[in-house]
Amino acid sequence: MSTRLWRTLLALALAVAALAVAACGDDDDDDGGGNGGGGDQAADVKQFPADTTMGKIQERGEITIGVKYDVPPFGFENPQTGEVEGFDVEMGRIVAEELGVEPKFVEAISDNRIPFLQRGTVDLILSTMTINQERDLEIEFSEPYYIARGRILVPQDSDIRGIEDLAGKRVCTALGSTYEETIREEAPEADLQLVDTYSECLELLQNGAIDAISTDDVILTGMIIQDDTLKMVGDELTVEPYGAGIKEGDKEFQRFVSDTLEAAQEDGRWEDIYQEWVGQYVPQDQQPPDMTLQEALALG
Amino acid sequence: MTELWQVLTDHFPEFVSGFWVTVRIVAISFVIAMVVGTIVAALRIAPLKPLNWVGGVFVEVFRDTPLLVLLFISFAGLRRAGLDVSAWVAGTASLGLYTSAYVAEALRSGVFAVERGQIEASLSLGLDYPRTMRYVILPQAARTVIPHLGSLTIAMIKNSAVVGPSLLALPDLLYQARLINSRTFATTEVFFWAGVGFLILTLLATVAVRRLEARYAIHR
Repeated sequence: MSTRLWRTLLALALAVAALAVAACGDDDDDDGGGNGGGGDQAADVKQFPADTTMGKIQERGEITIGVKYDVPPFGFENPQTGEVEGFDVEMGRIVAEELGVEPKFVEAISDNRIPFLQRGTVDLILSTMTINQERDLEIEFSEPYYIARGRILVPQDSDIRGIEDLAGKRVCTALGSTYEETIREEAPEADLQLVDTYSECLELLQNGAIDAISTDDVILTGMIIQDDTLKMVGDELTVEPYGAGIKEGDKEFQRFVSDTLEAAQEDGRWEDIYQEWVGQYVPQDQQPPDMTLQEALALG
Repeated sequence: MTELWQVLTDHFPEFVSGFWVTVRIVAISFVIAMVVGTIVAALRIAPLKPLNWVGGVFVEVFRDTPLLVLLFISFAGLRRAGLDVSAWVAGTASLGLYTSAYVAEALRSGVFAVERGQIEASLSLGLDYPRTMRYVILPQAARTVIPHLGSLTIAMIKNSAVVGPSLLALPDLLYQARLINSRTFATTEVFFWAGVGFLILTLLATVAVRRLEARYAIHR
Protein backbone atom coordinates (compact mmCIF):
# COMPACT_ATOMS: atom_id res chain seq x y z
CA MET A 1 0.00 0.00 0.00
CA SER A 2 2.49 2.54 1.15
CA THR A 3 4.91 1.77 -1.72
CA ARG A 4 2.13 2.45 -4.18
CA LEU A 5 1.45 5.75 -2.46
CA TRP A 6 5.13 6.63 -2.68
CA ARG A 7 5.24 5.80 -6.37
CA THR A 8 2.26 8.04 -7.05
CA LEU A 9 3.85 10.85 -5.10
CA LEU A 10 7.16 10.37 -6.90
CA ALA A 11 5.45 10.42 -10.30
CA LEU A 12 3.62 13.59 -9.31
CA ALA A 13 6.83 15.22 -8.10
CA LEU A 14 8.58 14.36 -11.37
CA ALA A 15 5.69 15.72 -13.40
CA VAL A 16 5.74 18.98 -11.44
CA ALA A 17 9.51 19.23 -11.85
CA ALA A 18 9.22 18.63 -15.60
CA LEU A 19 6.56 21.33 -15.89
CA ALA A 20 8.68 23.75 -13.92
CA VAL A 21 11.68 23.10 -16.17
CA ALA A 22 9.55 23.50 -19.29
CA ALA A 23 8.11 26.76 -17.96
CA CYS A 24 11.58 28.11 -17.17
CA GLY A 25 12.70 27.13 -20.67
CA ASP A 26 9.87 29.18 -22.16
CA ASP A 27 10.78 32.15 -20.03
CA ASP A 28 14.37 31.99 -21.20
CA ASP A 29 13.32 31.86 -24.83
CA ASP A 30 11.09 34.90 -24.42
CA ASP A 31 13.83 36.86 -22.74
CA GLY A 32 16.35 35.91 -25.42
CA GLY A 33 13.97 36.91 -28.19
CA GLY A 34 13.11 40.18 -26.51
CA ASN A 35 16.73 41.18 -26.02
CA GLY A 36 17.64 40.15 -29.53
CA GLY A 37 14.79 42.20 -30.98
CA GLY A 38 15.81 45.23 -28.97
CA GLY A 39 19.38 44.99 -30.17
CA ASP A 40 18.34 44.65 -33.80
CA GLN A 41 16.26 47.79 -33.84
CA ALA A 42 19.23 49.86 -32.74
CA ALA A 43 21.49 48.66 -35.56
CA ASP A 44 20.93 49.66 -39.15
CA VAL A 45 20.69 46.21 -40.71
CA LYS A 46 18.35 44.32 -42.97
CA GLN A 47 15.72 42.29 -41.14
CA PHE A 48 15.21 38.75 -42.44
CA PRO A 49 11.96 36.70 -42.31
CA ALA A 50 11.68 34.76 -39.05
CA ASP A 51 11.60 31.37 -40.78
CA THR A 52 15.05 31.78 -42.34
CA THR A 53 18.29 30.92 -40.56
CA MET A 54 19.26 34.59 -40.78
CA GLY A 55 15.98 35.61 -39.14
CA LYS A 56 16.39 33.02 -36.38
CA ILE A 57 19.93 34.24 -35.65
CA GLN A 58 18.67 37.84 -35.54
CA GLU A 59 15.95 36.84 -33.10
CA ARG A 60 18.56 35.16 -30.90
CA GLY A 61 20.80 38.24 -31.23
CA GLU A 62 23.85 35.99 -31.45
CA ILE A 63 25.58 33.83 -34.06
CA THR A 64 27.68 30.88 -32.91
CA ILE A 65 30.76 30.41 -35.07
CA GLY A 66 33.19 27.49 -34.85
CA VAL A 67 36.82 28.53 -35.38
CA LYS A 68 40.22 27.04 -34.66
CA TYR A 69 41.81 28.06 -31.36
CA ASP A 70 45.33 26.90 -32.10
CA VAL A 71 45.99 27.89 -35.71
CA PRO A 72 47.70 31.26 -35.90
CA PRO A 73 47.14 33.40 -37.86
CA PHE A 74 43.63 32.12 -38.74
CA GLY A 75 42.06 31.33 -35.41
CA PHE A 76 44.01 31.41 -32.17
CA GLU A 77 43.70 32.52 -28.59
CA ASN A 78 45.59 35.70 -27.80
CA PRO A 79 47.55 34.79 -24.66
CA GLN A 80 47.29 38.40 -23.39
CA THR A 81 43.56 38.89 -23.73
CA GLY A 82 42.31 35.31 -23.80
CA GLU A 83 40.19 36.27 -26.82
CA VAL A 84 40.25 34.30 -30.05
CA GLU A 85 41.68 36.24 -33.00
CA GLY A 86 42.74 35.79 -36.60
CA PHE A 87 41.68 35.87 -40.23
CA ASP A 88 38.79 33.40 -39.83
CA VAL A 89 37.59 35.26 -36.75
CA GLU A 90 37.49 38.51 -38.73
CA MET A 91 35.50 36.79 -41.49
CA GLY A 92 33.07 35.65 -38.80
CA ARG A 93 32.74 39.20 -37.49
CA ILE A 94 31.82 40.41 -40.99
CA VAL A 95 28.97 37.88 -41.16
CA ALA A 96 27.77 38.80 -37.66
CA GLU A 97 27.92 42.51 -38.52
CA GLU A 98 25.83 41.98 -41.65
CA LEU A 99 23.16 40.38 -39.46
CA GLY A 100 23.50 42.99 -36.72
CA VAL A 101 24.19 40.34 -34.07
CA GLU A 102 26.99 39.49 -31.65
CA PRO A 103 29.44 36.80 -32.78
CA LYS A 104 30.06 34.01 -30.27
CA PHE A 105 33.16 31.99 -31.09
CA VAL A 106 33.61 28.36 -30.02
CA GLU A 107 36.50 26.01 -30.67
CA ALA A 108 35.99 23.61 -33.56
CA ILE A 109 38.80 21.14 -34.26
CA SER A 110 39.13 19.38 -37.64
CA ASP A 111 37.55 16.24 -36.26
CA ASN A 112 34.38 17.72 -34.71
CA ARG A 113 33.45 20.70 -36.85
CA ILE A 114 31.14 18.81 -39.24
CA PRO A 115 29.22 17.10 -36.40
CA PHE A 116 28.96 20.57 -34.77
CA LEU A 117 27.13 21.85 -37.85
CA GLN A 118 24.96 18.77 -38.15
CA ARG A 119 23.88 18.93 -34.52
CA GLY A 120 23.32 22.67 -34.65
CA THR A 121 25.99 23.37 -32.01
CA VAL A 122 27.24 26.13 -34.31
CA ASP A 123 25.57 28.19 -37.05
CA LEU A 124 28.70 28.61 -39.10
CA ILE A 125 32.16 27.08 -39.38
CA LEU A 126 35.16 29.21 -40.30
CA SER A 127 38.07 26.97 -39.37
CA THR A 128 40.63 26.72 -42.19
CA MET A 129 38.30 24.17 -43.81
CA THR A 130 39.20 23.05 -47.32
CA ILE A 131 36.30 22.64 -49.75
CA ASN A 132 36.10 19.06 -51.00
CA GLN A 133 33.46 16.72 -52.41
CA GLU A 134 33.50 14.33 -49.46
CA ARG A 135 32.59 17.11 -47.04
CA ASP A 136 30.19 18.67 -49.54
CA LEU A 137 27.97 15.62 -49.14
CA GLU A 138 27.62 16.38 -45.42
CA ILE A 139 27.45 20.18 -45.32
CA GLU A 140 27.03 23.23 -47.56
CA PHE A 141 30.10 25.28 -48.46
CA SER A 142 30.22 29.01 -49.15
CA GLU A 143 32.16 30.31 -52.14
CA PRO A 144 35.93 30.09 -51.39
CA TYR A 145 37.06 32.98 -49.16
CA TYR A 146 40.75 32.12 -49.08
CA ILE A 147 43.16 29.89 -50.99
CA ALA A 148 45.88 28.12 -49.08
CA ARG A 149 48.53 25.81 -50.46
CA GLY A 150 49.78 22.56 -49.00
CA ARG A 151 53.42 22.41 -47.93
CA ILE A 152 55.75 20.42 -45.68
CA LEU A 153 57.39 21.78 -42.52
CA VAL A 154 60.66 20.32 -41.23
CA PRO A 155 63.48 21.32 -38.85
CA GLN A 156 66.21 23.49 -40.43
CA ASP A 157 68.72 20.60 -40.43
CA SER A 158 66.35 18.03 -41.96
CA ASP A 159 67.32 16.20 -45.16
CA ILE A 160 63.70 16.17 -46.36
CA ARG A 161 63.43 18.38 -49.47
CA GLY A 162 59.92 17.52 -50.63
CA ILE A 163 57.15 14.96 -50.60
CA GLU A 164 59.35 12.43 -52.43
CA ASP A 165 61.60 12.22 -49.35
CA LEU A 166 58.80 11.32 -46.94
CA ALA A 167 59.03 7.52 -47.45
CA GLY A 168 59.75 5.89 -44.10
CA LYS A 169 59.51 9.25 -42.30
CA ARG A 170 57.01 10.06 -39.55
CA VAL A 171 54.66 12.75 -40.83
CA CYS A 172 52.09 14.48 -38.65
CA THR A 173 48.81 16.05 -39.65
CA ALA A 174 45.42 16.57 -38.02
CA LEU A 175 42.95 13.73 -37.86
CA GLY A 176 40.13 14.47 -40.27
CA SER A 177 42.11 16.97 -42.37
CA THR A 178 42.51 16.67 -46.15
CA TYR A 179 46.25 15.97 -45.73
CA GLU A 180 45.48 12.55 -44.35
CA GLU A 181 44.33 11.57 -47.87
CA THR A 182 46.98 13.62 -49.66
CA ILE A 183 49.87 11.99 -47.78
CA ARG A 184 48.38 8.51 -48.13
CA GLU A 185 48.17 8.98 -51.90
CA GLU A 186 51.32 11.00 -52.62
CA ALA A 187 53.64 9.38 -50.08
CA PRO A 188 52.18 5.95 -49.29
CA GLU A 189 55.43 4.86 -47.61
CA ALA A 190 55.27 7.64 -45.04
CA ASP A 191 54.40 6.74 -41.45
CA LEU A 192 51.36 8.93 -40.82
CA GLN A 193 50.80 10.21 -37.26
CA LEU A 194 47.34 11.70 -36.78
CA VAL A 195 46.56 13.88 -33.78
CA ASP A 196 43.74 16.23 -32.77
CA THR A 197 45.34 19.61 -33.28
CA TYR A 198 48.27 21.15 -35.14
CA SER A 199 49.73 22.40 -31.86
CA GLU A 200 50.24 18.72 -30.98
CA CYS A 201 52.00 18.17 -34.32
CA LEU A 202 54.28 21.10 -33.48
CA GLU A 203 55.08 19.65 -30.05
CA LEU A 204 55.93 16.30 -31.66
CA LEU A 205 58.18 17.94 -34.26
CA GLN A 206 59.96 19.99 -31.61
CA ASN A 207 60.59 17.00 -29.35
CA GLY A 208 61.73 14.84 -32.24
CA ALA A 209 58.96 12.26 -32.19
CA ILE A 210 58.12 13.02 -35.82
CA ASP A 211 60.11 14.20 -38.85
CA ALA A 212 57.70 16.51 -40.68
CA ILE A 213 54.31 18.22 -40.57
CA SER A 214 52.17 18.57 -43.66
CA THR A 215 49.32 21.03 -43.88
CA ASP A 216 48.33 24.42 -45.30
CA ASP A 217 51.09 27.00 -45.74
CA VAL A 218 49.25 29.51 -43.55
CA ILE A 219 49.22 27.13 -40.60
CA LEU A 220 52.87 26.24 -41.14
CA THR A 221 53.70 29.96 -41.34
CA GLY A 222 52.10 30.37 -37.93
CA MET A 223 54.41 27.64 -36.60
CA ILE A 224 57.50 29.31 -38.06
CA ILE A 225 56.43 32.56 -36.35
CA GLN A 226 56.54 30.64 -33.08
CA ASP A 227 59.69 28.64 -33.78
CA ASP A 228 62.23 29.90 -36.34
CA THR A 229 64.28 26.68 -36.28
CA LEU A 230 61.70 25.24 -38.66
CA LYS A 231 61.39 25.71 -42.43
CA MET A 232 58.95 24.96 -45.25
CA VAL A 233 60.16 22.72 -48.07
CA GLY A 234 59.00 21.31 -51.38
CA ASP A 235 56.62 22.43 -54.10
CA GLU A 236 53.02 23.14 -53.31
CA LEU A 237 51.36 19.76 -52.76
CA THR A 238 47.81 20.88 -53.11
CA VAL A 239 45.61 23.92 -53.61
CA GLU A 240 43.28 24.29 -50.64
CA PRO A 241 40.35 26.64 -51.15
CA TYR A 242 38.84 27.48 -47.77
CA GLY A 243 35.07 27.68 -47.50
CA ALA A 244 32.70 28.54 -44.69
CA GLY A 245 30.68 25.53 -43.52
CA ILE A 246 26.89 25.71 -43.28
CA LYS A 247 24.38 23.06 -42.28
CA GLU A 248 23.45 20.71 -45.14
CA GLY A 249 20.42 21.89 -47.13
CA ASP A 250 20.39 25.47 -45.85
CA LYS A 251 20.89 27.06 -49.28
CA GLU A 252 19.50 30.44 -48.21
CA PHE A 253 22.06 30.86 -45.45
CA GLN A 254 24.79 29.54 -47.73
CA ARG A 255 23.93 32.23 -50.31
CA PHE A 256 23.84 34.89 -47.60
CA VAL A 257 27.28 33.94 -46.22
CA SER A 258 28.78 33.74 -49.74
CA ASP A 259 27.38 37.14 -50.71
CA THR A 260 28.53 38.72 -47.45
CA LEU A 261 32.10 37.41 -47.76
CA GLU A 262 32.21 38.29 -51.44
CA ALA A 263 31.15 41.86 -50.72
CA ALA A 264 34.04 42.10 -48.25
CA GLN A 265 36.43 40.91 -50.98
CA GLU A 266 35.20 43.63 -53.33
CA ASP A 267 35.18 46.63 -50.99
CA GLY A 268 38.69 46.16 -49.59
CA ARG A 269 37.83 44.80 -46.13
CA TRP A 270 39.21 41.40 -47.14
CA GLU A 271 42.58 42.87 -48.12
CA ASP A 272 42.90 44.85 -44.89
CA ILE A 273 42.26 41.72 -42.88
CA TYR A 274 44.63 39.72 -45.08
CA GLN A 275 47.44 42.22 -44.56
CA GLU A 276 46.92 42.32 -40.81
CA TRP A 277 46.87 38.56 -40.22
CA VAL A 278 48.67 36.87 -43.11
CA GLY A 279 50.31 39.31 -45.54
CA GLN A 280 52.96 40.56 -43.16
CA TYR A 281 54.29 37.02 -42.54
CA VAL A 282 54.45 35.59 -46.06
CA PRO A 283 56.74 36.66 -48.89
CA GLN A 284 54.14 36.73 -51.66
CA ASP A 285 51.01 38.85 -51.73
CA GLN A 286 47.64 37.31 -52.37
CA GLN A 287 44.54 38.66 -54.05
CA PRO A 288 41.05 37.64 -52.93
CA PRO A 289 40.29 34.22 -54.40
CA ASP A 290 38.81 34.28 -57.91
CA MET A 291 37.91 30.60 -57.74
CA THR A 292 34.25 29.60 -57.62
CA LEU A 293 32.75 26.92 -55.40
CA GLN A 294 32.25 24.71 -58.48
CA GLU A 295 35.93 25.01 -59.41
CA ALA A 296 36.96 24.32 -55.82
CA LEU A 297 34.84 21.17 -55.72
CA ALA A 298 36.29 20.03 -59.05
CA LEU A 299 39.75 19.96 -57.40
CA GLY A 300 38.71 16.93 -55.41
CA MET B 1 20.28 -0.48 -40.15
CA THR B 2 21.92 -1.34 -43.44
CA GLU B 3 24.36 1.50 -42.89
CA LEU B 4 25.30 0.03 -39.52
CA TRP B 5 26.45 -3.20 -41.17
CA GLN B 6 27.98 -1.43 -44.09
CA VAL B 7 30.27 0.63 -41.87
CA LEU B 8 31.53 -2.59 -40.30
CA THR B 9 32.00 -4.52 -43.55
CA ASP B 10 33.59 -1.57 -45.38
CA HIS B 11 36.09 -0.88 -42.62
CA PHE B 12 36.53 -4.32 -41.08
CA PRO B 13 40.34 -4.46 -41.53
CA GLU B 14 40.77 -1.10 -39.75
CA PHE B 15 38.49 -2.10 -36.89
CA VAL B 16 40.33 -5.42 -36.47
CA SER B 17 43.80 -3.84 -36.57
CA GLY B 18 42.68 -1.24 -34.02
CA PHE B 19 41.20 -3.97 -31.85
CA TRP B 20 44.51 -5.85 -31.75
CA VAL B 21 46.46 -2.71 -30.90
CA THR B 22 44.03 -2.14 -28.01
CA VAL B 23 44.51 -5.77 -26.92
CA ARG B 24 48.29 -5.29 -26.93
CA ILE B 25 48.12 -2.01 -25.00
CA VAL B 26 45.80 -3.59 -22.44
CA ALA B 27 47.88 -6.79 -22.10
CA ILE B 28 51.20 -4.98 -21.57
CA SER B 29 49.67 -2.42 -19.22
CA PHE B 30 47.97 -5.20 -17.25
CA VAL B 31 51.28 -6.95 -16.61
CA ILE B 32 52.92 -3.66 -15.57
CA ALA B 33 49.97 -2.78 -13.33
CA MET B 34 49.94 -6.12 -11.52
CA VAL B 35 53.72 -6.46 -11.06
CA VAL B 36 54.32 -2.86 -9.99
CA GLY B 37 51.10 -2.80 -7.95
CA THR B 38 52.21 -5.84 -5.97
CA ILE B 39 55.66 -4.40 -5.32
CA VAL B 40 54.21 -1.06 -4.21
CA ALA B 41 51.67 -2.77 -1.95
CA ALA B 42 54.52 -4.73 -0.35
CA LEU B 43 56.44 -1.45 0.18
CA ARG B 44 53.41 0.16 1.78
CA ILE B 45 52.96 -2.61 4.35
CA ALA B 46 56.64 -3.43 4.91
CA PRO B 47 57.77 -3.12 8.55
CA LEU B 48 60.10 -0.25 7.67
CA LYS B 49 58.91 3.38 7.67
CA PRO B 50 61.01 4.72 4.72
CA LEU B 51 59.67 1.94 2.50
CA ASN B 52 56.08 2.76 3.51
CA TRP B 53 56.79 6.33 2.64
CA VAL B 54 58.17 5.50 -0.84
CA GLY B 55 55.13 3.35 -1.58
CA GLY B 56 52.81 6.08 -0.34
CA VAL B 57 54.39 8.73 -2.56
CA PHE B 58 54.18 6.43 -5.57
CA VAL B 59 50.48 5.78 -5.00
CA GLU B 60 49.63 9.43 -4.51
CA VAL B 61 51.60 10.57 -7.57
CA PHE B 62 50.09 8.08 -9.97
CA ARG B 63 46.60 7.90 -8.51
CA ASP B 64 46.12 11.65 -8.18
CA THR B 65 47.27 12.59 -11.70
CA PRO B 66 44.84 12.39 -14.62
CA LEU B 67 45.84 9.69 -17.09
CA LEU B 68 45.96 12.16 -19.97
CA VAL B 69 48.41 14.34 -18.03
CA LEU B 70 50.62 11.31 -17.39
CA LEU B 71 50.55 10.53 -21.11
CA PHE B 72 51.59 14.05 -22.05
CA ILE B 73 54.33 14.20 -19.42
CA SER B 74 55.71 10.76 -20.21
CA PHE B 75 55.81 11.36 -23.96
CA ALA B 76 56.32 15.06 -24.63
CA GLY B 77 58.07 15.80 -21.33
CA LEU B 78 60.54 12.93 -21.29
CA ARG B 79 61.35 13.38 -24.97
CA ARG B 80 62.08 17.06 -24.35
CA ALA B 81 64.31 15.98 -21.50
CA GLY B 82 66.29 14.00 -24.08
CA LEU B 83 64.95 10.50 -23.37
CA ASP B 84 64.03 8.68 -26.56
CA VAL B 85 60.78 7.10 -25.31
CA SER B 86 58.52 5.67 -27.97
CA ALA B 87 54.75 6.15 -28.05
CA TRP B 88 54.33 2.47 -27.10
CA VAL B 89 56.55 2.75 -24.04
CA ALA B 90 54.96 6.01 -22.92
CA GLY B 91 51.43 4.71 -23.49
CA THR B 92 51.72 1.34 -21.80
CA ALA B 93 53.88 2.66 -18.95
CA SER B 94 51.43 5.50 -18.24
CA LEU B 95 48.38 3.26 -18.28
CA GLY B 96 50.19 0.50 -16.37
CA LEU B 97 51.60 2.74 -13.64
CA TYR B 98 48.34 4.68 -13.32
CA THR B 99 46.46 1.43 -12.76
CA SER B 100 49.19 0.00 -10.52
CA ALA B 101 48.53 2.71 -7.93
CA TYR B 102 44.95 1.46 -7.62
CA VAL B 103 46.10 -2.16 -7.63
CA ALA B 104 48.52 -1.39 -4.79
CA GLU B 105 45.73 0.15 -2.72
CA ALA B 106 43.43 -2.80 -3.42
CA LEU B 107 46.12 -5.29 -2.37
CA ARG B 108 46.96 -3.28 0.75
CA SER B 109 43.36 -3.33 1.88
CA GLY B 110 43.32 -7.06 1.13
CA VAL B 111 46.34 -7.62 3.34
CA PHE B 112 44.75 -5.71 6.18
CA ALA B 113 41.74 -7.97 5.80
CA VAL B 114 43.95 -10.95 6.74
CA GLU B 115 43.88 -11.47 10.49
CA ARG B 116 46.85 -10.14 12.40
CA GLY B 117 47.25 -13.49 14.14
CA GLN B 118 48.26 -15.08 10.85
CA ILE B 119 51.32 -12.84 10.55
CA GLU B 120 52.26 -13.43 14.14
CA ALA B 121 51.85 -17.19 13.72
CA SER B 122 53.91 -17.21 10.55
CA LEU B 123 56.72 -15.12 12.04
CA SER B 124 56.78 -17.24 15.20
CA LEU B 125 57.10 -20.36 13.03
CA GLY B 126 60.40 -18.94 11.80
CA LEU B 127 59.37 -17.64 8.37
CA ASP B 128 60.99 -14.30 7.57
CA TYR B 129 59.00 -11.28 6.41
CA PRO B 130 59.24 -11.81 2.60
CA ARG B 131 58.27 -15.48 3.00
CA THR B 132 55.40 -14.63 5.33
CA MET B 133 54.15 -12.26 2.66
CA ARG B 134 54.62 -14.69 -0.20
CA TYR B 135 53.26 -17.88 1.33
CA VAL B 136 50.81 -16.75 3.99
CA ILE B 137 49.48 -13.24 3.55
CA LEU B 138 49.39 -12.54 -0.20
CA PRO B 139 47.57 -15.76 -1.19
CA GLN B 140 44.82 -14.94 1.29
CA ALA B 141 44.81 -11.26 0.40
CA ALA B 142 44.58 -12.08 -3.31
CA ARG B 143 41.39 -14.04 -2.69
CA THR B 144 39.59 -11.11 -1.11
CA VAL B 145 40.79 -8.63 -3.72
CA ILE B 146 39.97 -10.60 -6.89
CA PRO B 147 36.62 -8.82 -7.42
CA HIS B 148 38.27 -5.46 -6.84
CA LEU B 149 41.13 -6.25 -9.22
CA GLY B 150 38.54 -7.33 -11.77
CA SER B 151 36.86 -3.92 -11.62
CA LEU B 152 40.26 -2.23 -11.94
CA THR B 153 41.09 -4.32 -15.01
CA ILE B 154 37.80 -3.40 -16.65
CA ALA B 155 38.42 0.27 -15.83
CA MET B 156 41.89 -0.08 -17.36
CA ILE B 157 40.48 -1.54 -20.59
CA LYS B 158 38.20 1.46 -20.89
CA ASN B 159 40.97 3.89 -19.91
CA SER B 160 43.09 2.47 -22.74
CA ALA B 161 40.78 4.42 -25.06
CA VAL B 162 42.45 7.60 -23.83
CA VAL B 163 45.90 6.41 -24.92
CA GLY B 164 45.52 5.99 -28.69
CA PRO B 165 43.81 9.20 -29.75
CA SER B 166 46.04 11.39 -27.57
CA LEU B 167 49.32 12.99 -28.54
CA LEU B 168 50.75 9.47 -28.85
CA ALA B 169 48.72 8.57 -31.96
CA LEU B 170 48.82 4.83 -31.26
CA PRO B 171 46.46 3.25 -33.81
CA ASP B 172 44.16 1.57 -31.26
CA LEU B 173 40.46 0.84 -31.64
CA LEU B 174 39.29 4.33 -30.78
CA TYR B 175 41.95 5.97 -32.96
CA GLN B 176 40.87 3.82 -35.92
CA ALA B 177 37.22 4.58 -35.16
CA ARG B 178 37.91 8.31 -35.26
CA LEU B 179 39.86 7.88 -38.49
CA ILE B 180 36.96 6.00 -40.10
CA ASN B 181 34.57 8.62 -38.74
CA SER B 182 36.58 11.43 -40.29
CA ARG B 183 36.11 9.78 -43.69
CA THR B 184 32.54 8.49 -43.44
CA PHE B 185 30.99 10.95 -40.94
CA ALA B 186 28.85 7.98 -39.81
CA THR B 187 29.50 8.89 -36.18
CA THR B 188 26.80 6.78 -34.53
CA GLU B 189 27.60 3.66 -36.53
CA VAL B 190 31.37 3.92 -36.19
CA PHE B 191 31.34 4.44 -32.43
CA PHE B 192 28.72 1.75 -32.00
CA TRP B 193 31.21 -0.77 -33.39
CA ALA B 194 34.06 0.71 -31.38
CA GLY B 195 31.84 0.23 -28.31
CA VAL B 196 31.22 -3.38 -29.32
CA GLY B 197 34.98 -3.90 -29.56
CA PHE B 198 35.54 -2.61 -26.04
CA LEU B 199 32.56 -4.62 -24.80
CA ILE B 200 34.13 -7.82 -26.13
CA LEU B 201 37.26 -7.12 -24.07
CA THR B 202 35.45 -6.06 -20.90
CA LEU B 203 33.09 -9.05 -21.07
CA LEU B 204 36.07 -11.39 -21.46
CA ALA B 205 37.65 -9.76 -18.43
CA THR B 206 34.40 -10.16 -16.48
CA VAL B 207 34.21 -13.87 -17.33
CA ALA B 208 37.86 -14.35 -16.33
CA VAL B 209 37.26 -12.65 -12.98
CA ARG B 210 34.16 -14.78 -12.31
CA ARG B 211 36.17 -17.93 -12.96
CA LEU B 212 38.99 -16.84 -10.68
CA GLU B 213 36.51 -15.95 -7.98
CA ALA B 214 34.85 -19.36 -8.25
CA ARG B 215 38.22 -21.13 -8.21
CA TYR B 216 39.58 -19.39 -5.12
CA ALA B 217 36.33 -19.06 -3.25
CA ILE B 218 36.42 -20.24 0.32
CA HIS B 219 33.89 -22.99 0.83
CA ARG B 220 32.54 -22.52 4.28
